[in-house]
Amino acid sequence: MGERSEIGDRYETLRRRIKEELENEQNGVPTIRITMSTCARAAGAEETRKAIEDAIAAFGLSAKIIPVGCLGHCYAEPLIILDYPTTGLPPICYHSVNAGKARLIIQSYLQESDPAFEYIMGAMEENDLIPPVTTFPRFGLEERIVMTHCGRINPWDIREYIANDGYSALAAALTDLPERIIDEVEKSGLRGRGGAGFPTGRKWRLGRAQESNRKVVICNADEGDPGAYMDRTIIESNPHQLLEGIAICAYAVGADTAIIYIRAEYPLAVKTIEQAIREAKAYGFLGERILGSDFSLDVKIFQGSGAFVCGEETALIQSIEGRRGMPQHRPPYPVERGLWGYPTIVNNVKTFSYVPSIINKGAEWFQSIGTERSPGTAIFSIVGNVKHPGLVEVAMGTTLRTLIFDICGGIANKKTFKAVQIGGPSGGCLSEVFLDTPIDFDSLTQVGAMMGSGGMVVMDEDSCMVDVARYFLDFTQKESCGKCTFCRIGTKHLLDILDRITRGKGQEEDLKILEDLSRDIKQGSLCGLGKTAPNPVITSIRYFFDEYVAHVRDKRCPALKCRSLIAYYIDLERCARGCEACVGSCPVEAIFTTKGRKKAIDQSLCVKCGECMVACPKEYDAVLRVSPPELAPIIERPPMR
Amino acid sequence: MEVSGQHIGHGIREEEEQAISEKLPEILGEFSRERSSLLPILQRIQEAFKFLSPGAIKAVAEYLGLSGSEVYGVATFYNQFRFHPPGRHEIKICMGTACHVKGGDVILENFERRLGIKEGETTPDREYSIERVACVGCCALAPVAVVDDKVIGYMQPSKVEGLFLQFEIQRKIREGQIKTEAS
Amino acid sequence: MVKITVDGKKLETEEHLTVLEACLQNGIFIPNLCFLKTRPHPHASCRLCFVSIEGYDRPITACTERVRDGLVVKTDTPEVRALQRSAFKLLMSLHPCNAKLCPTEKPCLLMRIAKHIGVGINPKPLERINRGLPDFVDFGSLYYVPNRCVLCARCIHTCRSINKRPLLTFAKRGIMTMVAYFSSGNDSEVCSNCNACVDICPVAALLPKSAFINFLEAKETHA
Repeated sequence: MGERSEIGDRYETLRRRIKEELENEQNGVPTIRITMSTCARAAGAEETRKAIEDAIAAFGLSAKIIPVGCLGHCYAEPLIILDYPTTGLPPICYHSVNAGKARLIIQSYLQESDPAFEYIMGAMEENDLIPPVTTFPRFGLEERIVMTHCGRINPWDIREYIANDGYSALAAALTDLPERIIDEVEKSGLRGRGGAGFPTGRKWRLGRAQESNRKVVICNADEGDPGAYMDRTIIESNPHQLLEGIAICAYAVGADTAIIYIRAEYPLAVKTIEQAIREAKAYGFLGERILGSDFSLDVKIFQGSGAFVCGEETALIQSIEGRRGMPQHRPPYPVERGLWGYPTIVNNVKTFSYVPSIINKGAEWFQSIGTERSPGTAIFSIVGNVKHPGLVEVAMGTTLRTLIFDICGGIANKKTFKAVQIGGPSGGCLSEVFLDTPIDFDSLTQVGAMMGSGGMVVMDEDSCMVDVARYFLDFTQKESCGKCTFCRIGTKHLLDILDRITRGKGQEEDLKILEDLSRDIKQGSLCGLGKTAPNPVITSIRYFFDEYVAHVRDKRCPALKCRSLIAYYIDLERCARGCEACVGSCPVEAIFTTKGRKKAIDQSLCVKCGECMVACPKEYDAVLRVSPPELAPIIERPPMR
Repeated sequence: MEVSGQHIGHGIREEEEQAISEKLPEILGEFSRERSSLLPILQRIQEAFKFLSPGAIKAVAEYLGLSGSEVYGVATFYNQFRFHPPGRHEIKICMGTACHVKGGDVILENFERRLGIKEGETTPDREYSIERVACVGCCALAPVAVVDDKVIGYMQPSKVEGLFLQFEIQRKIREGQIKTEAS
Repeated sequence: MVKITVDGKKLETEEHLTVLEACLQNGIFIPNLCFLKTRPHPHASCRLCFVSIEGYDRPITACTERVRDGLVVKTDTPEVRALQRSAFKLLMSLHPCNAKLCPTEKPCLLMRIAKHIGVGINPKPLERINRGLPDFVDFGSLYYVPNRCVLCARCIHTCRSINKRPLLTFAKRGIMTMVAYFSSGNDSEVCSNCNACVDICPVAALLPKSAFINFLEAKETHA
């Protein structure tokens, strides 16, 4: 027992020391936290950071710049949180801070003590002066467990995680019996967040029960679903929470090696987690004899090489072993015989990231959130045609309506909601009928979609559901490993037929073939990729049958999206005499001037790229689309003079 | 008639293969000789030379005690690996769902039209190559392009022109056609 | 020994066999392409050997299921046949069938499977897929016919068990997956002309060069 309490003491001492260290460093100096995750950088965070540094130097100020991960408000990137304690104001969050704004904010707040109200998103704490961010529906409706510290702490400095009680769950776990950890995780009802929702505790118990001189834990960060990026964000924002979860799992199941399998397309996440591993080792949370206990864990990173199918656990293992990532028949399950033949426990990034909170706050607390069969929260990336795309963490059982309309501000550009695609290529397209369905693992499966990794793409009236189904089949067809007949050849046929339909060459029999083939692929495929590949087709036929019929029977695309079935034309009533905006935008010189000095499109040259529609000034809005293309008015090109 | 495996390495100059084979031993030496090193080695080689040459595949097979076929089979399975030299500027267009919904295909076409090549190809002067990539995870900023490893959000046809203007200026500076202030 | 029932017939089979092996040993044909006795882990890729087993709600592949006492198997339920026909048509949509040019002994395995499951050898209602692959690929001492290949991997496995270093591999992926031979130029990687891969191929997708010359002549006369 003596050794056990020593671990706790050692952790407590460290935590106290670090807290003091950080407080001393802060010492009244203003801190500027700037989001530096991949999407923030894409939105210009590096330029913003440079501008802040320059401004601080130019005004001769002293301030500390701290990079943080992602707050989830991707539409408002880059964000900065400015804490200037001596003003008596709480930390303030500013949104969409480009270089120019950054300079102004620094000058105004740090130089002149005026917090530049016009750029404020909200205060990070309750106060009397500045409306707090919690008044935003998004902050109010979200319930954060995994993302609590995302975008608030520095992912490149382990001390900030420790100061927020980071690694306390690991310290507590190491003083407990592995079986009791598994009991707690099982009791919490945590289900795997990789998509299928297998109970995590049960998987760990199976892993623990295996007799082997070596066991391996794999963290699946091969986030391949197009439209989903929460794993990347979690790694870039709070890598230590993930490492802590992995370490607890390894201790519970008795593994000495952990591998984080991460996509090579996520270079920043790779760097972040590499640095985190180095720091965690240096502080004694990973490596040999963790926190002075008998437990040692070696954590390695393995970069995926661009194969969606490697998200499937047996394919992932093949890939680490240096083979073609082709799924293997199960059983044996990886937990029995996995990497290099050893029992292998594979869990997703999010699954591991829940574990520290469950250990710290207990199974009952976790159970109290979410629904009975899907406890806890769900993390969604909601993108597409919504006003405020981003990452959202809500209790399981939240409805789509709340997510899309309350949290993400509804549909952008005054359009109407048409569908939401959930679960990526394995998921389905749901229509507005399902907006009030509380979502969890089971309710989504029931309606033919899937939780998947939690990617949600919202589509407005301009999205064609046949085209969306075609898009996903194009994806799965390209990503099929090519091993089994149904997935290899079947998805190609689905794609060819959908392609035909979107080009106006479909027959009514094609719809029957689509349905039959989809059913067979679902039943007959070897692995999960193939078994779920037809879901986008099945759901779009089920919920948007009319659109298929319009394409096949009337050769018409109701959403005006399928290029073979539409034509662009210029409404002469609206077109402004003398305006040349569209002419320059056309890449193929298809736009000519009519006798009345207005513009018209030569249909024989038009490639239907839509650039003239973008270029046409909003006040005229003269470029229109029509389907079928024969409906476009024919205007003769005047003879060249 | 196609000769198996020999269609790779199109457009490699002899001196390039030479230069690669000179540097390879050093790179290979960083890795242990076990099969699990295969993907990391291939990634490292591609990082260094931007593609996998036939000679490099053979050297890796030799080093790991695998057959040439095995290494070739593994390498051709993964999207990441390229077997032909890419352009100086690598343009990757994201084809994720959000980018698709927001017109990623129009962006891709713009690049293709502008450069006169299709995705997966390199311009004859080896200045540019275009690739389509699966989601890069910046969906909230769709449509997205990755140009020389920099993610560019809210891509628009007009941004395409701006990019090329910048590249052409860089090229002229490089080739000494424009003198910079410093020189 | 284990007692199982297949299509109403009681069988006694060795333990540790798969349902597929047990049936084949007892003269009950279940369509299959990728099964190889010498392979320790079933490849399970051709998706033809579906059977219905009591207690399962849908057909499962016979090559992946081990026999156990009391197992009740049916090899020809409508659900089983539907899946087999679907898989077979998919395979045939890539496999242009020209009996006059094909060197296999007739009826070939594909024809026998077609007859067994009651379908023609055309892929209808599916269209043929043209992948734009070359007609022949030179493997040194062999020629490979990618459009005939059903990717059963028998050749890869057979070559691997004979040569310590496998000379044949799958290359590329998805619909473009092919069998390939990429020699590193090392002596140990030169094909020894054992023709084991040619013999094991169920669809004559691998041909020794000598046979190939005859074949080319046949093609010319035919044309």
